[in-house]
Amino acid sequence: MAARVGIVGIGHTRFGNSSEYDLADVMAYAATDALRDAGYLAQRKEIDQVFVANMASGMFCHQSAVASALISRMDMEPVPAELIENGPASGASAVKIAYMAIASGMADVVLVVGGEIMRKVTGWNATDIVATMLDTETEYNMGLTLPGFGGMFTRMYMEKYGLTERDLALVAVKSHDNGAKNKYAHVQATCTIEAISDGPEADVVNNYIAEPLRMYSTCPVTDGAAALLLVNMDSPRAKQFAKKPIRVAGVASATDTHCVHNRKDPLQLNAVRIAGEKAYKMAGLGPKDISFAELHDAFVILELAISEELGFFERGKSFLAVRNGETRIDGKLPINTSGGLKSKGHPVGATGVSQVVELVRQLRGEAEPGRQVKDPKYGMSVNFGGFGNNVAAVICAKD
Amino acid sequence: MIDFSMYDVKAPKISAFKCDGCGEIYYPAPMICRKCDSRRDPVTGKGWSTFDLEGPCTLLTWTRVWNLPDGYNKKFLQFGIVQFENGLRASGRVEVEEPKTGMKLTATVEESDERPGKPVKIFVFK
Repeated sequence: MAARVGIVGIGHTRFGNSSEYDLADVMAYAATDALRDAGYLAQRKEIDQVFVANMASGMFCHQSAVASALISRMDMEPVPAELIENGPASGASAVKIAYMAIASGMADVVLVVGGEIMRKVTGWNATDIVATMLDTETEYNMGLTLPGFGGMFTRMYMEKYGLTERDLALVAVKSHDNGAKNKYAHVQATCTIEAISDGPEADVVNNYIAEPLRMYSTCPVTDGAAALLLVNMDSPRAKQFAKKPIRVAGVASATDTHCVHNRKDPLQLNAVRIAGEKAYKMAGLGPKDISFAELHDAFVILELAISEELGFFERGKSFLAVRNGETRIDGKLPINTSGGLKSKGHPVGATGVSQVVELVRQLRGEAEPGRQVKDPKYGMSVNFGGFGNNVAAVICAKD
Repeated sequence: MIDFSMYDVKAPKISAFKCDGCGEIYYPAPMICRKCDSRRDPVTGKGWSTFDLEGPCTLLTWTRVWNLPDGYNKKFLQFGIVQFENGLRASGRVEVEEPKTGMKLTATVEESDERPGKPVKIFVFK
């Protein structure tokens, strides 16, 4: 039987603009926080493995070999360290691979650090760098970007299910309510439905980015890092840590066609559905067991579509749940309690790790007042790579 | 002697691919046919044929993008996904004033030198 895997340490920088700082420093800060949280900083050379999640430091920062840089910055030689790159899903992929390393018996203690500095380049350049994850000939060369695909997906969804731009704004208002209370969030500010949808100045405040997506339907360009210390809960070494482990109950990933146009139904996010089903099966759980979720809302439409693929709501009905307040912090199924990518920010390589940090904070009862879910037992995250072509899901449990 | 400048510049084309073994068609080309597992040789193309992807198509969805990446000196660009009569689909630019999902368009191919490096072929749906 494979070992049980738990998380005993978490670390997170304040997301925002860290562009004057070195990526290895930013990641090392989150990593040392995770080690301090676990009471393991002095024993860091006893860690069996480090996995670093990063999407594009070579392009954003003109810097490669960030795993090696991180190890030296933290005085951790000769601990083995490798880079995990899976686009914006690099973080959850690193968590999955850390789980596999422990479950296989090759490691008992694994540090996962995700980080990205995106703001060393201009916003136009960042949009271009992120777009390189698209199919080169058939998508990137056409001038397409991730917001472009977000806009086309949103229009299809609206025309099929009756979603409105106001519904998108309601998701943003909900997420900003949570992010405003999260000490790690990039945009710690609320927004009102009047300001971004109903009021006379809404068109100016909330301008179009990729129609019908507006500014408040898309995540900001963000820098930051997050870290987790994972352990074999069945090893004698598990007793060394200051914090009780939060168990990783399920972790899985799946892929879909690289070209979006080759999907039989482009509105179906097959990789999300399959990764979710596999994670549920591994955990012995179903959608009704989940207490709260962190879903990859790089565009707020994705929060809705992912929540449907995971079985939280019927297809085409998730926005009705948002209208009813069901995904608010005090609703039946709080979604993006951290503020999500929309408000907390989306440093691409860090996001999947950051989502799991939020699962742990909620399950420990350590979220800030006003955004703590009441007595959560299971939290689920979905980290979305490309435009849904490589997706990883994680379920954490408070035993 | 040949004077190349006397001849018209060849119109840019984008190719779709057909597996000669089973007739399955693709855009872009895969390495392995999903139907008969025949492998495409990327150098010689042996066992596969190509044909121009162009002509009538239907707009499945579209967007108007206002935050364009580096290199695009335009206020906005419109993009869409279309379906051709043979069932293949493609993404590209949409150049009509008022796009509408379901509208019939014609796929043309142009060269774009907006980004640094060699010019690339792009679909423009008109």
